[in-house]
Amino acid sequence: MKRLTKTFFAFLIALVPMMAMAQIDGEFIKPRTGKFLLKNATVVTITKGVLTNTSVLVADGMIMEIGASIAANGAEEIDCTGLFIYPGMIDSGTQLGLAEVSSVAETVDFSEVGNFTPNMQALTAVNPNSEAIPVTRVSGVTTVLTVPSGGLFPGTAALINLNGYTPDQMYAGFKAVVMTFPNSGRRGRYDRRSDDDIKKANEKSLKDANEIWENAIAYNSMKKTGAALEFYPEMDQLAKVISKELPLLVQVDAASDIQNALKWLEEKDVNVILSGVAEGWRVADEIAKSGYPVITGPVQELPTRESDRYDTPYTNAGKMAKAGVKVAIRTDEIENVRNLPFHAAYAAAYGLGKEEAWKAVTINPAEIFGVADKYGSVEKGKVANLIVATGDPFETRAQVIHVFIDGYRIPLSNRHIRLYQEFLERSPGLESK
Amino acid sequence: MKRTLFKASVICMILGSWMISSSTFAQSDPTGKKRITSSFAITNATVFTEPGKAGVKSTILIQDGVIAGVGNNLSIPKEAKLIAGDSLFVYAGFIDGASNAGITKPKDLERPENFVSSDPPDEIAGITPSRSAVDQFAMDSKVEELRKGGFTVLQIVPEGGMIAGKAAIMVLGNETSSNLIMENTALTVSFKGSRGMYPGTAAGVMAKFRDVYKNAELTKINSDKYASVPGVKRPDIDDTFMGMKDVISKSTPVMFSASSELEIRRVLKLQKELGFNLILTDLENYEGVIPEMKAAGVKVLIKAEVPDDKAIKAQKKDATEDVKAQYIRVKESFDKAIAQAGKLEAAGIPFSFTTVGVKAGDIGKSLKTMIDGGLSETGALAALTTNPAAMMGMSRELGTIEKGKMANLVLTTDTLFKEDTQIKHVIADGYLFDYETKAKKKATEDGDATDAVKIAGNWDYTTESPAGSGGGVITIKKDSNEYSGTISYDDPGGSGKLTTPIKDVKLDGSSLSFAFDVNAQGMSIVVEISGTIDGNSMDGTMSIGQFGSFPFEATLAPTLNAKL
Amino acid sequence: MKKINYFLAALLGLSFSFASAQTPKGSVLIKNATVLTVTKGTLQNTDVLVQDGIIKKVGTNLSAPSGVQTVDATGKYLMPGIIDAHSHVGLDVVNEATSPITSEVQMKDVVNPTEVGIYRALAGGVTISHAMHGSANVIGGQNATLKHRWGTKNPNDIIMMDAPRTIKFALGENPTRVHGRGNGIQPSSRMGVEAVIRNGFNEAIQYKKAWADYNSASAQKGNTATAPKYSERFQTLVDILDGKIIIHCHSYRADEIYMLINVARDFNITKLVFQHTNEGFKVAPEIAKYTMGASVFADWWAYKFEVYYSTAFNAAILNANDAITSINSDSAELIRHLYHEAAKTQRYGGMTDDEALAMITINPARQLGISELVGSIEEGKQADLVIFDTHPLSVYTVPQMTFVDGVKYFDIKEDKNDQRLSVSPTEMVEDIYLRQQTERCMQDTEHLFDMAGNLFNQN
Repeated sequence: MKRLTKTFFAFLIALVPMMAMAQIDGEFIKPRTGKFLLKNATVVTITKGVLTNTSVLVADGMIMEIGASIAANGAEEIDCTGLFIYPGMIDSGTQLGLAEVSSVAETVDFSEVGNFTPNMQALTAVNPNSEAIPVTRVSGVTTVLTVPSGGLFPGTAALINLNGYTPDQMYAGFKAVVMTFPNSGRRGRYDRRSDDDIKKANEKSLKDANEIWENAIAYNSMKKTGAALEFYPEMDQLAKVISKELPLLVQVDAASDIQNALKWLEEKDVNVILSGVAEGWRVADEIAKSGYPVITGPVQELPTRESDRYDTPYTNAGKMAKAGVKVAIRTDEIENVRNLPFHAAYAAAYGLGKEEAWKAVTINPAEIFGVADKYGSVEKGKVANLIVATGDPFETRAQVIHVFIDGYRIPLSNRHIRLYQEFLERSPGLESK
Repeated sequence: MKRTLFKASVICMILGSWMISSSTFAQSDPTGKKRITSSFAITNATVFTEPGKAGVKSTILIQDGVIAGVGNNLSIPKEAKLIAGDSLFVYAGFIDGASNAGITKPKDLERPENFVSSDPPDEIAGITPSRSAVDQFAMDSKVEELRKGGFTVLQIVPEGGMIAGKAAIMVLGNETSSNLIMENTALTVSFKGSRGMYPGTAAGVMAKFRDVYKNAELTKINSDKYASVPGVKRPDIDDTFMGMKDVISKSTPVMFSASSELEIRRVLKLQKELGFNLILTDLENYEGVIPEMKAAGVKVLIKAEVPDDKAIKAQKKDATEDVKAQYIRVKESFDKAIAQAGKLEAAGIPFSFTTVGVKAGDIGKSLKTMIDGGLSETGALAALTTNPAAMMGMSRELGTIEKGKMANLVLTTDTLFKEDTQIKHVIADGYLFDYETKAKKKATEDGDATDAVKIAGNWDYTTESPAGSGGGVITIKKDSNEYSGTISYDDPGGSGKLTTPIKDVKLDGSSLSFAFDVNAQGMSIVVEISGTIDGNSMDGTMSIGQFGSFPFEATLAPTLNAKL
Repeated sequence: MKKINYFLAALLGLSFSFASAQTPKGSVLIKNATVLTVTKGTLQNTDVLVQDGIIKKVGTNLSAPSGVQTVDATGKYLMPGIIDAHSHVGLDVVNEATSPITSEVQMKDVVNPTEVGIYRALAGGVTISHAMHGSANVIGGQNATLKHRWGTKNPNDIIMMDAPRTIKFALGENPTRVHGRGNGIQPSSRMGVEAVIRNGFNEAIQYKKAWADYNSASAQKGNTATAPKYSERFQTLVDILDGKIIIHCHSYRADEIYMLINVARDFNITKLVFQHTNEGFKVAPEIAKYTMGASVFADWWAYKFEVYYSTAFNAAILNANDAITSINSDSAELIRHLYHEAAKTQRYGGMTDDEALAMITINPARQLGISELVGSIEEGKQADLVIFDTHPLSVYTVPQMTFVDGVKYFDIKEDKNDQRLSVSPTEMVEDIYLRQQTERCMQDTEHLFDMAGNLFNQN
């Protein structure tokens, strides 16, 4: 029982910040906007170095002021002495909000019927009340790109902040049309197609892609001239890529597929972001030459080939960054997006380095998504997506004790924590029979 | 299948009622297929009586399916058909240790009404030890392919599930005989699970096999008790027990299919636990377990196949470093694979071949590859003859060319494992089978030219001369050993092309030469063409009398059937 | 290749070779490490001497006997080899999913020591894994405890011969989906799961009696007794009832965990460990009192309905309630960073260093019945050791060397990239696997599901 008491007290201490919010037993704590002054922390800005004994003023959803001493002026003061302020982390590839329980098909919404469905909007299908969202944000991940998957053009991905009750409230200002580049790999251990079948499927996919693209270019030109075209929603959406209104997020992993994709994209005048890129290290120089940014992950994944060195996925990001590629990290998760800091930490420990790893989950994705004026670093004038932690948020030992999204102070509770509170010391306990 | 045997047996009965001994009564045969005699004498052939012995010029006398004599100065009976063996080489007929040629898979049994997939009846779950391969067998083209390849005796194995049934030994003799030498020679077992019912995986099969074996042993104990003690409960005798009886008594061996090292180890584990006599079959990757197989003293059948070298051939020279590293590993693995048979021989484990899953036409090539990999020719021949005979317990009747043994012989055009050797005759059960052989290709001076160069077909050619460039088509035909053809050329007298036959066509290895006459302005000139052929292209010179030699190039147009 | 390492090592007098009947045992002196013993505290600047596969001495200023290599571990951390209590790595068959009870099936029959996942686990510091039957059946097959002696092709070389027998049970969605919905056999509900178990045990009791009766009757003169049918299946259930086998039960929901605890109490079974048991925290006091504890995921949840209501604080709650708690992987991917999974209990529940480390060392050792032999750094135990470049519970740590029985099987500085033990001679282009299937508990049952992808996807 000694263990129980010790943990219980440790737990109570962890609850202190919540108590400071004047909690009444049973009262539900809501996200609150307002004016907050985070005092006297170590601020890791990402873009402008590390500032010690610095305060940050949050108001109107923005980072108003960063400085050594800032007057409170009615702001709620939060003492952050000994704590660390980081920008909220950005996960550049997830299906968060698009599925609830993977094995229950009715709850899975990231995949639609058809090979050519770029018009499917991930944003509107996001469930703002998904249980996984509160589970995720207590780890410090405040923003994610949620991505459809499935056919050749499975849909349009969207960047969302993990706060809000409608998708529009969550929308963080970036969308991209997804392309699953024809791939030559196996879909998993259970994919037992013959080598020939895989090759044939690959060739057919590429043929389809070429046909669709040609049509899309023609469609776009006609549209620009004002021609009277029949209703074709898929082409409408793809035309936005051709006219460079939206970028193309290309999912591709195997080395030969990456090379094929680079060749395929070369003559096409569109904005490209590569995603997945599990074997990017094999062709890192070619990717760097293309200038396309790369979203890679999951880092904690098995090597693609049996002959690969055991740490190939860990070292992938570092090798690409070394070759000059701009790298962002993703988890490709649904319910465990909270592990993004750990994926980044592994990339850091295996060659990427801590500084670059932090950039890969903050300013890099912000720049890749064209929202660096709003997100990705602790700078005056940006949106207040901030986390306050007891240490390096990549470390498992560290606790994230404050989270701000869009300037809202987020209650650090979710079902996991509530179950912990209920069952740590169950009442009634063991029935004596 | 059974019907054919039935028909054959009816004919046999009818004929038999006329023939008590083969030579006593005459019969009419309007088809003309009946052989005129059952006696043969192969005279003055180079005979290899057993593996390891040098070939000796001898005569072999065969009577009634038995070797009546081997040697020189034999007295040859007048009714013996003579086969001139002067250019022939004779070996004992090959024995296939396990074959499924001629076997038709039996129809799946209908599932009973109360079928429960977790506890299915034995016959539906693939446990059918009472079945016999004989019931599934009929001579078909696959069997004839094997015989053409020199096989005279097959141990046929039944098709089925994890315990498919009992093997049998057949001689590939005349259709009118049942050709059955011995039944129930081995129980065939494999790790094949049943679809959709227990057992479904190798782990389940292993557990079920132990269960079947141990319960058969218990039923035997109960049966013995029932037979000797009154008042005992009657034991439940079923088909499974009937089939397992002689296996648990160790009089019938288990022929367990295991192609990889891990599978072999699993079989050896079962054998150690249960104690049955074991023949391992279908071996493909086994080098690592050679010591274990030797220690267990098990009999071994290896697949008469080697991995194909497509992957090795497809290796690109301009690959990156890590791809090159892969190439090296694949090549190493390939080299090791073809060296395995030699390693088995070196370890002193007598082994035979199985042709299950192997194309009969590839067997010769595979054996040659194994010999390249280290297997001795003696070892290869032993694996085809004396080893399987010993494994089957039939060394008295089979395996070598000796007086008194069954008349099973292979007659070849050259010594057995040479590149161009072909099989001209096979004698099985004393019946003679003839096969077409292709004419031997002329060997070149430097000893190579194994595959004759294709020259038959249409060649598009071009030449360069002071008169300009010319061209046309050369058509070459092959007629038995002679080449002939035509060539078209620009008409020196005007426009268009003339065609004239070519003469003196000589093909020496990959060097081709021929000549043709050109008539112009009353003059006749001989034009000679000679060149080297590389695949589909020919490169050489054209000589026009005293006017000089000029470059000549030709390309063979692809044809659908490039026959020599 | 590793063979060359052995050859060199043999030259150096470190004699070991798989050709001999015994498994290799090595000697080594690890100097000046921070030694995390797990059971006896943390020792700074300490040496560990290993001889013939056993930890001979833990102390300071130790010197190496002649022929024994020294490893300088200054600035590095040494901990006991990590033990994964739930794995399917190294098995050619995972599920004999054709009957709800398959206790006669043995994973030891289908061990594959050449699976490269074993090496990758070594590279993550895991020295022992519990290779289990899958979760398709209510009563599955018997498991195999494996020691990761990488480099051999003989399965016997990696099976831990002195480990007690264990068997796999499974409750909940998996067996009801496979048998009830897939095949129309009981169970198709949690009610059926309990019935299958109780029926199995009761039939086993009858089986035991039938054989006992026969054995005593057949010893009498002139008896007419005939032997009953032999069944390895029921004999194994009898062995469970006789306390010879530890049950490891895949389970999720609190009510089914509670059900099995009651069934165990009814049949006097105390050797019971719950696996995954995502809702174990809801019946933590019962698990603590009546069983050998729980082996759980660090943070997997929501991929099936029965794990929707779980919490990452599961391990912390179980531990706080005095249940023996371990963290497992059930995945060829997670097994490579179990030290990181254990570290998550520090974020979710504030576990101390020793508590977190115990969850991947001494606790799983206890649950596998091998805690006398391994699981901590103590003199007399088998020398399964891992060296890390920084504290194993730091997210930035990188394993450096892994020893099993004192033999070094993983060295980050020396090892080749391509660790495959055998390569196909006909391989033209190597297979590339994208987004690998990591949870293998349902392997070999794919044919029963059309929406197989949903069941297996962990995303």
